[in-house]
Amino acid sequence: MTKILSKASGAEVAKLASEYKERCSIAVIREPSKTLAMLKMREPVKGSLFYIGEVIVCEAIVELDGVKGMAVTMGDDFEKTFDMAVIDAACNKGIFHEEDSLIRLGRSQELLEQKENAMHLKTMVNFTSMDRGAQ
Amino acid sequence: MGYVAVSGGSEAIEASIRLLDYYRSGTEKDLDIETIAEKMSLLVDRVMGEAGLYSKSYAALALKQCEGCIEEAVFLLRAYRSTLTRNYYSNVLDSNSMRVVRRISSAFKDIEGGQMLGATYDYTHRLINFEIEHEDAQALRANVLAELNGQKPEEVSPCPRVSDELKKEGLIEMRGPCEAEPFDVTENLLEYPADRSARLQTLSRADTGFVSGLAYSSLRGFGGAHPTVGELRTGYVEVGIPYLFDDTQEICLGEILITEVEIFSEADDEDKLKLAVGYGAVFGRNENKAIATAILDRELESGGPYPSQNEEFVLTHGDSLEMSGFLSHLKLPHYVTFQSKLDAVRKTRGGNA
Repeated sequence: MTKILSKASGAEVAKLASEYKERCSIAVIREPSKTLAMLKMREPVKGSLFYIGEVIVCEAIVELDGVKGMAVTMGDDFEKTFDMAVIDAACNKGIFHEEDSLIRLGRSQELLEQKENAMHLKTMVNFTSMDRGAQ
Repeated sequence: MGYVAVSGGSEAIEASIRLLDYYRSGTEKDLDIETIAEKMSLLVDRVMGEAGLYSKSYAALALKQCEGCIEEAVFLLRAYRSTLTRNYYSNVLDSNSMRVVRRISSAFKDIEGGQMLGATYDYTHRLINFEIEHEDAQALRANVLAELNGQKPEEVSPCPRVSDELKKEGLIEMRGPCEAEPFDVTENLLEYPADRSARLQTLSRADTGFVSGLAYSSLRGFGGAHPTVGELRTGYVEVGIPYLFDDTQEICLGEILITEVEIFSEADDEDKLKLAVGYGAVFGRNENKAIATAILDRELESGGPYPSQNEEFVLTHGDSLEMSGFLSHLKLPHYVTFQSKLDAVRKTRGGNA
C-alpha cells in the first residue's frame, strides 16, 4: 500500500484520507516534518554493504480515535505525509475501506510504468558481430 | 603559513551580496524549479550525487540560487542537510529488482535480458540543434505524452546481472553476502586503509570531474589494464524502511534513480584464473561518473604506484565541498603571509644587490 501511496499525488492521497479526517478524532503525535533517510546498498563484487547517500523524507504520526498511524515518504509534502499517516491509522483501526480505489490507483501507476517500459524496450538492440568467428 | 583577522568591509560585502541578485536575475523571465528539475535533470543528478543528497526539487532550487554553479549548489545542499535530523536508515536497496531504463554491456553482445539503450546521447550527432531554440514546450510535452499513451503496456521484469553468469561459471569469484554495518563518512573521519564501504560512499559523493580525470589517467597508462564495461544499468530502485509499529513489515518511501556499473579486468592474482571486478553506483543518470567510480574501485583494490591507485590521494581530494572550500579560501585576505613572502624576496634581492 505504501508503494502506491508514495507514488500517488497529494490530491490522490487526500481523497483517500478525507473520510477518516472528517469522521474521526485525530490527535497529532508527531507533526509532519522533514528528516533524512540514509540509503544502504549492497555492492555485487564482495557482497558488502555501503551507503550511497541520503534522501529527504517527511514523517508524521497521528492517532485516529486512539489508534496510531504513521507515514514516512520521500519529498517535503507535509499534507500528503499527514494524510498517509491518517490512512495508516485507519488501516490499523480496521476501518479503511478504500481498497478498491487503492487498487485502481495502483493499477494506473503500473499501467504508466508498463507503457514507459514499452518505450524503453523499443531501444533494445541486437548487435551483429562483423567477425563471423566471434561470439 | 600565518593568518590574521581583519575587520571592515561589511558594507561592501552586503552590497556584493545584493549585487548577486543583479547577476542572478539576468532577465525578466523566471526559471521555475520544476523546469530546472525536469529539463536540466542530468545537471540536477550530478548535484544530488556530489551532495550525497537525493532531492530533485532542492537540487534545482540550489542551482537557481547560485546561477547554476555546481559546487555552490552542492555546498547549499550539504549545508541544508546538516540542519536535518537523520531518523531513518533504509533497508538494503534491492538493485537486482531495479526497474531498468537503460542497460548495456561492452563485454558481451548477447546478455540475458538484452541490451537496452534507453535514452542516451551516445549516438547523437554533436551538432547544436537550432530548431529547439524557440521550442513550443507544451507541444513537445503533448507529443511525447501522446506517444506514451499510445504504447502497448509491457510487463516490467528485472534483469539479472551480467556478472552473475560469470560467477556461476567460476570466472568471477562468488562471495556470500557480508552483513557488516557500513562505515559512514558523513559521521566518521576517514582513516586509512579505508573500509570498502567508506571507499564506495566517498566515490559516490565525489566530484564528477575529479573521478573522471583520475579514471582517465588510469586508462591512459597511469594505472592498471584497460577495463571493459561488463554492465552499465540505470533504473529505479525502491526505498524501504522497517514499519515503526511492526519492524517485520516494510514501508516504501518511494523510489530513486541510480546508475550502477561493473567493470571487468584481468585479475591480479598469481594464477590469473579469474576476472577482477570494479563497481560504482551513483545517483541519477551520471554514467561517466559511475564508470569512473568502478575503474577507481578496481584501481584502489589492486593498488600500485599511480595516483589512481593511491587510496589516500583518491579518497581525500575528490569531495566537491572540501576542494572548492580550500580553493576558495585563497581568495580571503592573506595580507600578513604575503607581506612576509614579499619581505623575504626583498631581503634576498637586497642581499644580492
